[in-house]
Amino acid sequence: MSGAVGREPVFPTRQSLGLMKAKLKGAEVGHSLLKRKSEALTKRFREITRRIDEAKQKMGRVMQIAAFSLAEVSYAVGGDIGYQIQESAKQARFRVRAKNENVSGVYLPQFESYTEEGVNDFGLTGLGKGGQQIQRCRETYARAVETLVELASLQTAFLILDEVIKVVNRRVNAMRMAESTNVYEASMLSFLEQRIPSNVCNLPYRIEQDLANTYQDINSELDELDREEFYRLKKVSNKKQRDNAAADAEILAARERAAEKAAQNGTPPVAESKEPEPETTDVLGEQEDNDVIF
Amino acid sequence: MEGLFFNVNGGYVEGIVRGYRNSLLTGQNYSNLTQCESIDDVKLQLGPSYGDFLATLPPNPSTSALAGKMTDKLVSEFRYLIAQSTGSTAKFLEYLTYGYMIDNIALLITGTLHERDTRELLERCHPLGWFETLPVLCVATNIEELYNSVLIETPLAPYFKGSLSHQDLDELNIEIVRNTLYKNYLEDFFNFVNTHPDFAGSPTQDVMSEILQFEADRRSINITLNSFGTELSKQERRKLYPEFGKLYPEGSLMLSRAEDVEGVALAVSAVADYKAFFDAVGLSQGGSGMGGMGGGPADGKSLEDLFYQKEMDMSKLVFTRQFTPAVVYGWMKLKEQEIRNVTWISECIAQNQKERIGNFISVF
Amino acid sequence: MAAAAASTYKDRQFLAVIGDEDSVTGLLLAGIGHVTDPPDAQRNFLVVDAKTENSEIERAFKSFTEERKDIAVVLINQHVAERIRHSVDTFTDPFPAVLEIPSKDHPYDPEKDSVLKRVRRLFGE
Repeated sequence: MSGAVGREPVFPTRQSLGLMKAKLKGAEVGHSLLKRKSEALTKRFREITRRIDEAKQKMGRVMQIAAFSLAEVSYAVGGDIGYQIQESAKQARFRVRAKNENVSGVYLPQFESYTEEGVNDFGLTGLGKGGQQIQRCRETYARAVETLVELASLQTAFLILDEVIKVVNRRVNAMRMAESTNVYEASMLSFLEQRIPSNVCNLPYRIEQDLANTYQDINSELDELDREEFYRLKKVSNKKQRDNAAADAEILAARERAAEKAAQNGTPPVAESKEPEPETTDVLGEQEDNDVIF
Repeated sequence: MEGLFFNVNGGYVEGIVRGYRNSLLTGQNYSNLTQCESIDDVKLQLGPSYGDFLATLPPNPSTSALAGKMTDKLVSEFRYLIAQSTGSTAKFLEYLTYGYMIDNIALLITGTLHERDTRELLERCHPLGWFETLPVLCVATNIEELYNSVLIETPLAPYFKGSLSHQDLDELNIEIVRNTLYKNYLEDFFNFVNTHPDFAGSPTQDVMSEILQFEADRRSINITLNSFGTELSKQERRKLYPEFGKLYPEGSLMLSRAEDVEGVALAVSAVADYKAFFDAVGLSQGGSGMGGMGGGPADGKSLEDLFYQKEMDMSKLVFTRQFTPAVVYGWMKLKEQEIRNVTWISECIAQNQKERIGNFISVF
Repeated sequence: MAAAAASTYKDRQFLAVIGDEDSVTGLLLAGIGHVTDPPDAQRNFLVVDAKTENSEIERAFKSFTEERKDIAVVLINQHVAERIRHSVDTFTDPFPAVLEIPSKDHPYDPEKDSVLKRVRRLFGE
């Protein structure tokens, strides 16, 4: 493997091979879980950004209507009520409270507007004239502010999600394999990459990659050991074969001598001479098997 | 008879006002204005009537700046009139400014209550309600000092005396203070035009009585309608009704007991005009025509629009009378409405809400 | 991070506004105005006109975003935000949410919005 730069510092033993296998499995599961989280968050994120865009446009319209209703007030009152309003403001009637929404383990605050009952700073404003217009204007503006609060929730969620997705993606990135396997993943990864500064993207430790490398290395080293072992066995068996052959030859010579004696006596034992051959093919066959494994 | 000596003192002023009246925008002008694409166009269209005053405006001014300049013209013309008048006419013109003074004083009271620097407020005061001693009031640092200064320094002292103490300024809502003062002012004005020897039995008495009665009734009705759903109690509310007018006393009593719009409608049903207004509002919701400043869900004429319309008609009719300073009153109201109209139109243009641009009141 | 955030926003219940007189008046009419108890009566709104110094806007913005812990949303007129663009752009905390709103005389321009700019950049649009 070309990417064998990083690997775990372990000895290539059977035990650590098993260990690495388990770790690799764990990393893969973790990666896919994180990826799924990131996907869920990203989906949410895209949805939020789309809604922000919409809400901002809507805000433009709503605020325009509200500003117009204020123009109606100044028409009806025939004067400037700004100062009086500023001075009579004491207690906020329109407030927000935050509640949480859980998206894949990330808590997104959501503002919820409510009106504090019993607070009415401007009840008598415009008593002499313009009161109805002011009342209408208040309602219009209250609706406009609700839109603004909605937008504020979206915007906060946007900022938090932006941060969280960055963190999650950094982790996903650190774990993921170099190659992305399918098209969807590739597109998502390229999207993620846009969102992550390049120095973060090329982190030196890609856990999953490292584990895989280690696994490969251990495996190949173990194989190497196997091969050496096999070579040794082969040597041993060759030597044995030679010894056997020598022994056989000796026996054969002895037999021949015996046969000669026997020929002199009249009984030649021919079948015995082919016996070492099937033993040799058996050894070769085993060698081929080993080759297949490599 | 009344015409015999009027022109000795008041003739010039009346003549001037009739001249001013002719510079009021007409229906033709308004229809030109509604065709404008930008505030600059509006400025151009206003050229003949307002030329010199609008000259200093920057290109594409804000609507409030435009309205400010138009008000400046009204103010300078009015100041000229008041400088030219003498005797009872001068007194009459002074009465016209008291309404604005009340607003200014209310502004200063608000500022003092919240311990703001009241000097900053002086530029927010309506120039027509300006009087020489107004800056003196800014010296006051607490409400008691202010109260004493008001009693000593301002022409409004009689309106405070007897109905408002300095504790009241502190405790009562500023709107109640304002409306109490306004009530006293209207009653005093009404009394003035009816009892002053120069005006008693003159066209001034006729026409001003009618206008002031209408004004009093309008305030009573508005206060009642606007008090629904607020902490204003019925007793307090009743104290704010001016004690004259077509509704007084039976209608006022019924108004003070009214608990909803139907109650108000019942209270005013004795007076044909008001009954017609309520019927129109009740029946023609989302209905026809011009003048509807209603807005909101049911677009159409609101009660306030109808009142404004009526006020304008009355102000226009004042010009059919002669030998009376009441024409100044009529002219001022018409001019104010004109400023509101132009502001409305430019607001519609600036905010691109052309569909409601026709909701102004034009009487010429 | 979510747990840390929870403590920072649970007390936030007010809106604050920095804007021209009309915007502030309208929003106050909606009932967002709040003045804290004396002696340090702090308002949660600032009216900006042509005479208002940039430093004053800056100060109010800092106070609403950093010092006060009871403000959930800061509304600021876009044309006012332009005057202190640097502060607005560098403020990236999720709390309080800073929202740029249009005003009567200055219609909304999405190109200038600091958050929308970020959105656009992310998607390369």
